[in-house]
Amino acid sequence: MGKYILKRLVYIVVVFFVVSLLMYALYNLIPSDPALLEMEPLRKVLKPAEWQRQYLEKRAELGLDQPLIVRYARWMGLIPDVGGSFNGLLQGQFGDSTLYKRPVIDVIKAPMANTILLNLFSTILTLAITIPLGIYCAVHRRKASDSAIQAVTVVGYSLPSYLVGIVFIYLFAVKLQIFPVGGAKTPGSTYTGFAEFADRMYYMALPILVLVFIGLAGMTRTVRAAMIDTLTQDYIRTARAKGLKEKVVIYSHAWRNALLPVSTSIMGWIISVFTGGSLVIETTFALNGTGRLYWQALNNTDYELVLAMQMFYTVVSLIGILLTDLSYGLVDPRVRVNK
Amino acid sequence: MSKENKKAGSGEKKSALGRWISRLFYPNKEMDIYAEEALQSPARMVAKSFFSKPLAVISLILLIAIMLFVFIAPNFVTLDLGEQDSTLVNVSPGYSMMDYPDELVKAGIADISVGSNFSIGVDNDGKVYVWGKTKISRVIDVADIPDEVAKAKIVKVAAGFDHIVVVDEKGTIYCWGNARLGQTKLPQELSENNRFHNFNIVKIYASHQFSAALTDDQRLILWGNVNFADIGMDNEKYDGHVVDAALTDTAYVILTDTGEVAYAGDKATALLATAIPEGAKSGVVSIAATANSVAALKSDGTILTWGVTTRGESAIPAFSAKPIKIEGGRYHYTALLEDGTTASWGHNRYKQINVPTELTDGSVDVKAIYTGYYQNYAVDSEGGIHTWGLRGFLLGTDDLGRDIFARLVNGGKMTMTIGALSVVISTIIGILLGGIAGYFGGFLDMAIMRIAEVVSSMPFIPFAMILSAVLGSQVSVEQRMYIIMVILGLLSWPGLCRQVRAQMFAQREMEYVTAAKTIGIKENKIIFKHIIPNVMSVVLVSITLSFGTSMLTESTLSYLGFGIPAPTPTWGNMLSNANNSVIIQNYWWNWVFVGLIFGLSCVCINLIGDGLRDALDPKSNER
Repeated sequence: MGKYILKRLVYIVVVFFVVSLLMYALYNLIPSDPALLEMEPLRKVLKPAEWQRQYLEKRAELGLDQPLIVRYARWMGLIPDVGGSFNGLLQGQFGDSTLYKRPVIDVIKAPMANTILLNLFSTILTLAITIPLGIYCAVHRRKASDSAIQAVTVVGYSLPSYLVGIVFIYLFAVKLQIFPVGGAKTPGSTYTGFAEFADRMYYMALPILVLVFIGLAGMTRTVRAAMIDTLTQDYIRTARAKGLKEKVVIYSHAWRNALLPVSTSIMGWIISVFTGGSLVIETTFALNGTGRLYWQALNNTDYELVLAMQMFYTVVSLIGILLTDLSYGLVDPRVRVNK
Repeated sequence: MSKENKKAGSGEKKSALGRWISRLFYPNKEMDIYAEEALQSPARMVAKSFFSKPLAVISLILLIAIMLFVFIAPNFVTLDLGEQDSTLVNVSPGYSMMDYPDELVKAGIADISVGSNFSIGVDNDGKVYVWGKTKISRVIDVADIPDEVAKAKIVKVAAGFDHIVVVDEKGTIYCWGNARLGQTKLPQELSENNRFHNFNIVKIYASHQFSAALTDDQRLILWGNVNFADIGMDNEKYDGHVVDAALTDTAYVILTDTGEVAYAGDKATALLATAIPEGAKSGVVSIAATANSVAALKSDGTILTWGVTTRGESAIPAFSAKPIKIEGGRYHYTALLEDGTTASWGHNRYKQINVPTELTDGSVDVKAIYTGYYQNYAVDSEGGIHTWGLRGFLLGTDDLGRDIFARLVNGGKMTMTIGALSVVISTIIGILLGGIAGYFGGFLDMAIMRIAEVVSSMPFIPFAMILSAVLGSQVSVEQRMYIIMVILGLLSWPGLCRQVRAQMFAQREMEYVTAAKTIGIKENKIIFKHIIPNVMSVVLVSITLSFGTSMLTESTLSYLGFGIPAPTPTWGNMLSNANNSVIIQNYWWNWVFVGLIFGLSCVCINLIGDGLRDALDPKSNER
């Protein structure tokens, strides 16, 4: 097991460097020159030769005269930069956002809290609804109630999330006027403590509802399929043959085992949510989350920010895949990985 | 199989893909019933099982219908990307623009005037009727006729872009509609407080944001938005000499009692003022205006036009008789001829110059014509109304005045094309790499699988956004479309690759592969001609489902602004356009129709995919 994890970790590190190099190279395809940007105002003041000299100096100062691989290594913090110190991603220097004129880390903090809050609530709610619903469907499979739920879930997972968002805005914010149309808090409000939290949740309620609705479909189907699989197992037949009550069979024997495969898909789902899964919903509801921040950064060509967030996404998803694989073995002894 | 069949079989040459697909559904065409019982290929069983599911079959039919619709209809519904018109903004769905009330015809028509998307008429009893798309904004409905107007006996009506002006028999003027820019703010001498004025109103006019009234002492009084339109008046020179006027969008010209067309406004340098032809300085009997041009009819029947005439306003046709009256729409003119027929010329985007044949061949004697914006009404000697021009839009228009139906159809073509081609790309990559990895195993397998993992570990939407932003920033729309296809294709192959690889592992151990190897068939031939056809069923499910996913992803990218950019429609950017509480609330047709057809396609694709998967899974029958 230890050897397997070590192997996977090495692999993750390699993939991380490959992806980051690819991303860095990709961004360098964009024609932009920070040195020129800084020197442009001086063009009229200085003589051309002097300006040229200072411009080249500036390029050297910013390290722009080096080949791509050197710049990448500096950005990553593998080799010292022009000043002689290590100032890269690995040292926790994510650079400055050109859009917000602040360090990337500071910019990400507040949206990250929103995104986590949003996804936490929607995940809990989704699971609280889907697991009983899936079990119910599996037990009553091929009955009218099951078919009806199946039909609704197909619609739920087929529709694009933003369309669900628009429909929900129309229903709940425009027609019924229960929730606000968008935003993160009441404009101009100065709530503190619990009132602030309540206000925030009020604004988050509709996005959470949409996320739950979208998540419902997929998870219900997963739980249902897993439960049906379990119910066809021999030990269930044995339990029934022993004369156990149907309730005991379902709630004591079947559902615990059925949840094993479900738990891994929950894991994968959580990762997808953290890596831009709620991006579309945050954009639709103008909610200040990481997804929307990423979208804004891309729209405003704030590539430092985009690059840092992309790296974050990559790390999270790589670790997530590892955790999913490990949890698979953890919850199901039959699939213990030992290579 | 008999010898004859074999000959026939080898005789026909089909492409490999064609053979796979035909084998999938019709393994052996000519077979007696016993043989079929004994030898039913798995693929045929799958097909049978699939077609026994009514939901899946209905979805398949629906999806095919939608696809045929979006691929055939664009040939008939052309889309002009530059098209937009401020007078056609947010028009609700339906063809009711020229549905005049029958009561108006019964009581006898006194006057009709055409507004942007609505029309107003008054009958001989002085009763006013408003029809068409009367809701001009969220709250204003021009069909809400004020009480005092309903009580008064109206004799003349004039409709502008978003307001209406009427005058009763006593010469009192009433205005309603959008009042925000002073359209209804009557000048002192016309206002109700001063209704006992010593002159009478003979004619009223209404245009984009201003109106005018002609008095019986030959003065023209103008009011409205002074910032938008040139409604100044050279009173000293023209008071007492005006016999007619014609209002363009932002200016007006007058016809004086000497038969001269003059620009009486303040902006003497405007094109309409400087371009007045010599011929229009005398002998003019009737004038009319479009949005930016003016036409003058001379007593000898010749017509002169000037101003902005880029939409064919100056292409005057040959008339069958002498024209006696001209009227102007937004970009076209209609003339009433001496012999009781009519003729139209100018812009024809909304068929506004396609005069019905009964009005041109002389079978109907036209007494009066009323033209404005994109509509035309002709009243014949028996009091009947004939209409031609824009009746409305099937699905309404969006916030730039673009026809939603045309955009829906063309956007669907775009979305489906991108979805389909990116699936083709990802399927080719998936089969190729999956086939190689599964068949050869070892180092190749390891390398390919690691690449697949790297690709699938990248968060899909954010990565596609970046690629689209970086690669698609300086290219044309068409190139961008291909870039997005390639991006989607390049990012979505790992799933299929894994499936094909797993199937490959199972298939390569089978006897037929060993047999093929022993007779010395090349390995690439074994993979792609012998094994792959056997895993086609898996591929088919994957193609179906990833077609849906690709469409969704493309539309999500467009929705976020990183797909196909705005003027070119896709279902995604049409919905993106609707992501605005005002539009969601008031102009539901902007998103409901697109949402419905897109949602329906996605649901259908998923149901087909589910049906196929169930059909392929031997265990599924137990479920």
